Amino acid sequence: MNVRSATVGWLLALSAVVTPAFAADVTFERDIQPILTRAGCNAGACHGKARGQNGFALSLFGFDSAFDHDAIVREDRGRRVFPAAPDESLLLLKAAARVPHGGGPRLPKESAGYATLRQWIIAGMPHTPASAPRLLRIAVEPSEKTVKPSDSFPLRVTAFYSDGSRENVTHFAGFNSSESTVVAVDPNGVVLAGKIPGEAAISARFQGLFASCGVTIPLPSATGKSPEWQFTETNFIDRLAAQKWRKLGFVPSRRADDATFLRRAYVDVIGRVPTLDEARAFLSDKSPNKREKLIDHLLAQPEYADYWANKWADLLRPNPYRVGIKAVFNLDGWIRDSFRRDMPYDEFVRTIVTAKGGTFDRGPATIFRDRREPEEIAPMVSQLFLGIRLECAKCHHHPFESWGQEQFYEFAAFFAKVGRKGTGLSPPISGSQEFVFAGKSGTVKHPISGKALEPKPLFGSVKTSEESTDPRESLARWMTAPENAYFANVMANRVWVDLMGRGIVEPIDDLRATNPPSNGPLLDALGADFRASGFKIKSLIKTIMMSSVYGLDSEPNSRNISDTRDFSRHYRQRLRAEVIIDAIGDITEIPNSFNATAPGTRATGIWTHRTPSVSLDTFGRPDPNQDPPCERTSDTSVVQALHLMNAPDLQKKLTSDEGRVARLAKSKQSPGEIVEELYLIAYGRLPTPDEQRFGLSLFADGKADRRAAIEDLLWALLNTPEFVFKN
Amino acid sequence: MSEIKNPSGFTRRDALRLGLAGLLPAGLMDVLRLRSEAGTTTQKRPTSCILIWMDGGPSHYETFDPKPDAPSEIRGKFDTIATKTPGVHFSKPMKRLASISDKFAVIRSIRHDQGNHGAGNHYMMTGAPPRIPVGCGAFVSFHPSLGSVTAHERGVQGGLPAYFSLPSMTRSGGPNFLGARFAPFVVSDDVNSRNFRVRDVSLPPGLTDPRFASRRDLRKHVDHFKRFADEVTADPAVSLDTYYQQGYDLMSSQPAQAAFRVESEPDKVRDRYGRTSFGQRCLMARRLVEAGVPFVTLNEGGWDHHVGLFDAFDKRMGAFEASIATLIEDLEERGMLDTTMVIALGEFGRTPKINKDAGRDHWSNAMSVLFAGCKTPGGLVVGATDSRGYSAKDRILSPENFAATVYTKLGIDPAKILFTPSGRPTYVVSDPTPIKELMG
Repeated sequence: MNVRSATVGWLLALSAVVTPAFAADVTFERDIQPILTRAGCNAGACHGKARGQNGFALSLFGFDSAFDHDAIVREDRGRRVFPAAPDESLLLLKAAARVPHGGGPRLPKESAGYATLRQWIIAGMPHTPASAPRLLRIAVEPSEKTVKPSDSFPLRVTAFYSDGSRENVTHFAGFNSSESTVVAVDPNGVVLAGKIPGEAAISARFQGLFASCGVTIPLPSATGKSPEWQFTETNFIDRLAAQKWRKLGFVPSRRADDATFLRRAYVDVIGRVPTLDEARAFLSDKSPNKREKLIDHLLAQPEYADYWANKWADLLRPNPYRVGIKAVFNLDGWIRDSFRRDMPYDEFVRTIVTAKGGTFDRGPATIFRDRREPEEIAPMVSQLFLGIRLECAKCHHHPFESWGQEQFYEFAAFFAKVGRKGTGLSPPISGSQEFVFAGKSGTVKHPISGKALEPKPLFGSVKTSEESTDPRESLARWMTAPENAYFANVMANRVWVDLMGRGIVEPIDDLRATNPPSNGPLLDALGADFRASGFKIKSLIKTIMMSSVYGLDSEPNSRNISDTRDFSRHYRQRLRAEVIIDAIGDITEIPNSFNATAPGTRATGIWTHRTPSVSLDTFGRPDPNQDPPCERTSDTSVVQALHLMNAPDLQKKLTSDEGRVARLAKSKQSPGEIVEELYLIAYGRLPTPDEQRFGLSLFADGKADRRAAIEDLLWALLNTPEFVFKN
Repeated sequence: MSEIKNPSGFTRRDALRLGLAGLLPAGLMDVLRLRSEAGTTTQKRPTSCILIWMDGGPSHYETFDPKPDAPSEIRGKFDTIATKTPGVHFSKPMKRLASISDKFAVIRSIRHDQGNHGAGNHYMMTGAPPRIPVGCGAFVSFHPSLGSVTAHERGVQGGLPAYFSLPSMTRSGGPNFLGARFAPFVVSDDVNSRNFRVRDVSLPPGLTDPRFASRRDLRKHVDHFKRFADEVTADPAVSLDTYYQQGYDLMSSQPAQAAFRVESEPDKVRDRYGRTSFGQRCLMARRLVEAGVPFVTLNEGGWDHHVGLFDAFDKRMGAFEASIATLIEDLEERGMLDTTMVIALGEFGRTPKINKDAGRDHWSNAMSVLFAGCKTPGGLVVGATDSRGYSAKDRILSPENFAATVYTKLGIDPAKILFTPSGRPTYVVSDPTPIKELMG
């Protein structure tokens, strides 16, 4: 694509569409900024970058009108605009490249954009009056379209103003495709579908607002025999997922068998593999509702709390070398206790956001000991609990997000009055207690204007409370209010990822118009259901697990083989570090032991990633040396393969006189019974007749060492993907 | 876009035969020439790369691009020192490297537009900008890394992984769509520790070779887990198979086991590299290259000096840069520098004005890169920043140019098209023009 010719094409288009307004009518925010944005003046590669270009800096994509107006009208001794001789204004000389301009001609003298700029200068560079109609939202038509490969169609972007008027702003909008190789879009908003079936979201940007169009290229109709559609819609998840599959031309995989479901459910709900008796009981249960019974049973197990708390600890638990061991231990304990008591999620979050008290007895206070500045706690709260990433907005407006710098600091201002007393940080010990309280003073200032900012939510409004002076109370109310769909949706997505292997939105805590979910209606419905349940996490888990979608097999068929984000088959996941290490302990009957934990503590019960464990490191728990700790990895690696094969610790567990292998070798159990037991504990299923026969052959030779045969068979089972993955 | 079929089959000989030589861009001819040189048909050893990744983004001011005439709030605390190259000055901490500046080049004019760690790492580590906005904490992969593409294109014999990363993987150092086979082999154990051994590459105590062989055989018999062969399914079980195969290869590889025995180096050599974790990793990198590994990344964190930059440099840089100097000298003494690149860089440079915490912040408008070996002219400085170090000014170069240079020297065509599992064509580097000054 030739960029230059595209630009010229647009310029022609612009002159054709835009009727130059009367001089008096041309105002900055409404008329001039869209021209600058569309011509690319304020793009990140030009004057929109932080230090501008050649001394002329505009805010990125025109997010800061006051700043831009100032830059054009006042800065550089006002030489950029000459109302008396408008054509000699540096702004126009450069834009038309009548003097050397690094960006080339952006607005030739005969273009409509040039004429509008000129009129604005003559009029004395007026701002758009505050009373003028405000831009409320933009819309893209069509908002959704299903096309064939190589199809093309134009988009139309409409702006809606507060006086009820609307305007076609297609020619001022910028466009971006989420998957440009699947579906591309040109600078004029013409969409071009590629050759491969798939989906993309085309987003349009106009004056800091976004709207998007979902484009789908379905699989071509089947030519040969198509797999049969055998799918029972049991709840809303199934209905909404199936809607999407039909649109894409997918046929879902078949239902997973009981053994697969059993192991999947144990790992997902309580973070461990089923024991021998548990596996036998489920597999031999003939009742029609055995899967629901199992889910209920698992959700009632105490291990549920440790496993899910372990996930939240990853997100919330600071480095003990920074904030102190006791404070971290206390926070870890609070998280676990919350899950033990099945605390509703809104209460959980409210307690964190409004944390008060001593770091030795009020766990969440430790988070405020770690994140000491409003600017540090605010983006954490917005990302974790709302799926809104504000980190970028701290320094600048973001081209792909709606959040601005002022909004960042207004949001941070909710934390301005958090007070601390006691002893602060003194790493690496930080041993003393600190008290967090709702103070009376403290402000957050805008880094550029220096203006003290009032707390303000990212959208909507907060109800101030009369009984409390802590702005965090209002924030928590706003976050958890029914109007705030982000709150429920991001948690629904989090739990969905844990159970389904992939998010409806990826990355899981990045909800924004330019990063659309693979199934928006499903995410919304899931969030609404979670809210309606009173934010009961267990209810959310059960709803998902009761769907037929959750119970699908992982094996694809010819009509869903390319599905990697629509859940028409189950996606295999490697067992998490803690789960795989605990499983090896359970299976060998040699429990792990970890430093700084009570005897018998499982890996899911460890209260800090600083507890040394080569095995946990190998399987990708977060690296505690990074601050903040980096994400955990779910990939496999050659290091993991070598570890399962050769780790001295695993070898010891297999050969220990105290372990399962030795016990079985000494027992009266027949080889057949032993083989069955090993398959049940390693895979959660019975051996097939072939496997049974092969297993027996290992014991067949009279001279064979029974114990060595068991060691070797168990080693082999633990080194297969059927053990390593949740299928 | 035009249809390009089997671009990898295109060789220098084809080009000459077809009389295309004059029509091809200079960069591509370099590639073809170097690839024929790097190929196994010649007697010479194939080229390799040791990439020293200074994670966080080292300051260009305090390394290779000092600005002694700038105001003190930009200049910083350190004086400059003369180097062995007349007229070229480094910042004072770079003492040992200054004394051997005739053995490497410095690029002062790479710049890009990704000012946070996740994005900057991705851009420099893959030669491709991140496709969507990426934050500072991010570990993202939209494109295969330099090391993974090298492993994919070059492969390696003798059971050694083709791509090592010590002591950890860099954020964007992964294989992306190339798949698990081309992920780095990570050696996380401390090479400087007295009882260093690469974890789990040899049998655990009490297990004999024949017993292991029979276990391995047994494993094959009991493994009935279904694999989804089609690549678009991204079946992790298929990746795990690759890793098991690599694991077996590694365990039985004599060259690998020998390369890992860093303790077999004379004390004198170990001392010369410096008895620090980084120094010994440099030594390990040399041993791996000697054994035939084409790409080694040393992921060295801690260069994000928002706070206390000068104290930190005082504490750390002396030993650090000395280890790099030793690595370059040692490679040269062994006749390996002609075939081994040594590169040191981070994701970007640092802000001109020293901040209130005596640190400098992220700054992608300028950065300095050390580039040695594989016929890179010594004593060379490529490009320049303005007088205050705000921005690359002369010979402005991109991360794409950087990546294209590395690939070209490795005999890999940066203009090659790779195909993702879903059939999407992707250039190795979107702008395949290498930095011609470095091509020797």
